[in-house]
Amino acid sequence: MAPSRRTKRVVASQPGFLNLKPSSGAAGLTSIRRKRVNKNKKKNWNKHSDINDVTEFLEDVRHQERTVGGLLSEKSDDHLFFLDVGQPKKAEQKVEPVDGKKRKGKAVRPLRIDLILQHDSLVPPAKDVLAYQQPNAKKLRRIAQKAEQLAAKGVVPRRQKQLLNRRPADRTAKKAVTEANNNPDRDYYDIWGQESKDTADPWYLQQTGKKRIKRPEKLNEKPSVLPAVEVIAPGGSYNPDFFSHQALLQEAHEVEVKKQKEEDKIERQLAVNKEHIATEETILREQVEGLVEEENEEEAAPNEQEEGMAVGAITVAEKKTERERKKERAYKVKEQLRQANRYQNDKRQQLFQLRSIKTSIKQEEQETMAKQKQRKANQEAQKAQPRRLGKLKFKAQDMEVQLSDELAGSLRQLKPEGSVLKDRFKSLQKRNLIEPRERAKFKRRLKLKYVEKRAFREIT
Amino acid sequence: MGGLQKKKYERGSATNYITRNKARKKLQLSLPDFRRLCILKGIYPHEPKHKKKVNKGSTAPRTFYLLKDIRFLLHEPIVGKFREYKVFVRKLKKAYGKTEWSSVERLKENKPVYKLDHIIKERYPSFIDALRDIDDALCMCFLFSTFARTGKCHVQTIQLCRRLSVEWMNYVIASRALKKVFISIKGIYYQAEAMGQLITWLVPYQFSHDHPTDVDYRVMATFTEFYTTLLGFINFRLYHSLNLVYPPKLDVKAESELKEENDDDYAMNSESYLEKLSALSASLARVVSTAEEEEAELDQFPVEGEDMANMEAREREQKHEEAQKKLFEGLKFFLNREVPRESLAFLIRCFGGEVSWDKSVCIGSTYEVTDETITHQIVDRPNIDKQYINRYYIQPQWVYDCVNAKIILPVEDYFLGVTLPPHLSPFVEEKDGDYVPPEKLKIMALQRGEKPAHEQEDEEEEEDDEEEEEEEEDNEEEGEDDEEAEEKNLKMMEEQRSQGKSLAVKVTAGKVKVENPARLEQEEKAEEKRLAIMMMKKKEKYLYDKIMFGKKRKVREANKLAAKRKAHDDAEKSKKKARK
Repeated sequence: MAPSRRTKRVVASQPGFLNLKPSSGAAGLTSIRRKRVNKNKKKNWNKHSDINDVTEFLEDVRHQERTVGGLLSEKSDDHLFFLDVGQPKKAEQKVEPVDGKKRKGKAVRPLRIDLILQHDSLVPPAKDVLAYQQPNAKKLRRIAQKAEQLAAKGVVPRRQKQLLNRRPADRTAKKAVTEANNNPDRDYYDIWGQESKDTADPWYLQQTGKKRIKRPEKLNEKPSVLPAVEVIAPGGSYNPDFFSHQALLQEAHEVEVKKQKEEDKIERQLAVNKEHIATEETILREQVEGLVEEENEEEAAPNEQEEGMAVGAITVAEKKTERERKKERAYKVKEQLRQANRYQNDKRQQLFQLRSIKTSIKQEEQETMAKQKQRKANQEAQKAQPRRLGKLKFKAQDMEVQLSDELAGSLRQLKPEGSVLKDRFKSLQKRNLIEPRERAKFKRRLKLKYVEKRAFREIT
Repeated sequence: MGGLQKKKYERGSATNYITRNKARKKLQLSLPDFRRLCILKGIYPHEPKHKKKVNKGSTAPRTFYLLKDIRFLLHEPIVGKFREYKVFVRKLKKAYGKTEWSSVERLKENKPVYKLDHIIKERYPSFIDALRDIDDALCMCFLFSTFARTGKCHVQTIQLCRRLSVEWMNYVIASRALKKVFISIKGIYYQAEAMGQLITWLVPYQFSHDHPTDVDYRVMATFTEFYTTLLGFINFRLYHSLNLVYPPKLDVKAESELKEENDDDYAMNSESYLEKLSALSASLARVVSTAEEEEAELDQFPVEGEDMANMEAREREQKHEEAQKKLFEGLKFFLNREVPRESLAFLIRCFGGEVSWDKSVCIGSTYEVTDETITHQIVDRPNIDKQYINRYYIQPQWVYDCVNAKIILPVEDYFLGVTLPPHLSPFVEEKDGDYVPPEKLKIMALQRGEKPAHEQEDEEEEEDDEEEEEEEEDNEEEGEDDEEAEEKNLKMMEEQRSQGKSLAVKVTAGKVKVENPARLEQEEKAEEKRLAIMMMKKKEKYLYDKIMFGKKRKVREANKLAAKRKAHDDAEKSKKKARK
């Protein structure tokens, strides 16, 4: 910095140097009287020495460099002057007087803000050396050179070889779209034939949670012993044998009777008791209640008497005397003794009852055996029964029966009875695969509000 | 009396069970999702033995699951998919609400789906396990395939069910596995034997649905979703066991036969192949065309300790079965338009018959009514105008009864306009001593190879004088015949006696009393039995008596029923006569 400044100063002192700002010299002349200050201290030097001229000069130099691109004095004449030959013809503008495109020309003119922000200095910006520097440039250059050499020889580097050897990914094949389960054209394969291809390390699979958990054996047991498809009784044939049809009808009839009985029972229980029905007499009595006074008084009188009796009934327990207590104690001891004697006697007597005791034991055992058997049988019978799996009990489906006059003479005239769908659904419930359920009732969250429409209201 | 206080419901059965709601919360699923998961994974609710203990003192009815089952569910990858789906629905709703169609499109493209393959493998570790549980799957598939496509369930599901059921039927035809069939008022029951497993399924009649309201369709659809997957894999395996191509293809020869110029009339091109398959009239393509392979006989390996007679019996039985499988072979059927086409075509093809129908009924008919080689035409109307002389016109029940009886029954009982004999259930197994309806007795006699020849003669005679009565009365005739035979016997004996009397003076050469070895043996056996009964202990004797008494009672009841039947029949007959 210092050498350049010096040269500039030197230039400025020279007689041929042109100053761009003529006022700078005049300003320096005005302050004639100088304050006397000792200049033996650096502080004073800094404070009191006048460097305006130098700064102004430098400012001027920078200004020139910015605007002209160098010192004016050093410029050649060709740069500074030109031959004035009047207004130059604006050929371009004359080409496009078309009214449509005039606007476009206007739009092309840069925005003022852009103009302000434009770099208008002619001094080129300082070069950022660091931006051009590269770490390890030398090494990299060497590597590149070597690669070039090898390429010239025709040697392929290892990494590229690996890349080339890799199987090309099939870009054309779309990612296998897993299709829905109910796709009618879906493919099947031999699921039981192929062994599972567990090539990966089992430990790895287990740790990463990719290993399938083994299904507990107990889950493979069926929840019911009933067969999946229960064939209808022979009476359910479309053209049944007379007796089997009758048997089926009988069965259906019994079911119906049972149902009817239950209904009747409820009806009976809900029936109004005849005694509770109001007769004319009771109605009359109710109407005159409180008007006739004699009866009330009569009723009230005995009540009072009862109350008096109740109060008098409470008696205080009398205290036992000492003698009585003694007597009681003696009686107690005597009773205990008697009991013990009796017990011992009985034991002794049992020796002679051995036979009957034996028989009684045997009887008991037999009874327990019978009970066990019965319980086992009950359990077996229970197995075929549907279990209670939820709020609702299993309700068997209505039996499919056709009455004798409903039976069709031929297959063409046959009217199918019942629904297979319902049959399947009930079968699933019966076999404990699903719990019996009711259809969820629709519940309104917010109450409905009924409002008469205005139009309607106007009419009425 | 130190130690920690034991708290209630912290051990024992209370800790082994979990209520449904708790389980649901543990899995972070909504109730429908939870229910779906349980169905797919085969986890069912349990009824605890001590409800009050499990329910922590409350007696409110709740649904319980085993805690271990729910813990097992926690590891299921599908659970994650369910949650993803929930999020997907939420996003989709939002996109719809904002009418952002592009994002709706994008979301729909990336809809999360799940597979059930691993669950199938997990629930049925071996093929046989799966085959044992196929009854339900078949019922469901046949049921869903008859649904109308009205939005009660997904159309795609219906299509898939149809495809799977057609595949199954084709398998049964190809393997000739059908055993029994029963037309009930509910639907048609079939029973087939595949790989030694008896499989029963129920097929509803077509167009008979009124959708019941008290059935949870969502649950049924979930079951169907699982069962379709299962049935597909089973079908694949079964087809490969028969060397058939899967997915099924029609035989090249059959296909060329079926290819007609008016294919497009029936269905769209995409659907017509399935339709042709479901016509059941053509055989399927095989992986290796094997004409001679089928003829290969089974090798015989005599097992130690098994005598020749036993083996021979087995062999005979096998041959018998083989013959039964070819019941309708060589017969040519034509189905009129009023009979249930699919069921009958299935049956006839199962037993090797040829079948065709009117071209306008369904795709895949192979010959016309006018074909002279048709042996049976199945008709279900009181009379028909134009009849060919060289074929039987019979009612459809004949086919079903033949299949159940395993022989070709006489066609006379099933002619047009004739009152049919009852259609008996083949699923009833009578033990000895039970009441057996006379119709069944007749069929059993026919099976044994006894031919009721005189009965037919009688019938013919009767036909001359009273034509209308012919068929219903053969039972009574049987009875009458018996009576007649008895009478004849008595007469003969009387004659013999009278002859004996007249020739009493004559001395004839002594006859060697022929000892019947079989009879002797029988007697010996009876004697042995009696002795054995005598030697019984008191306790055993008591038991034996009880059993015998039970048997006798059964016989008595059966006799009673038979007598009742006879009375009923007589009454009917007399009524008919009176009407005349």
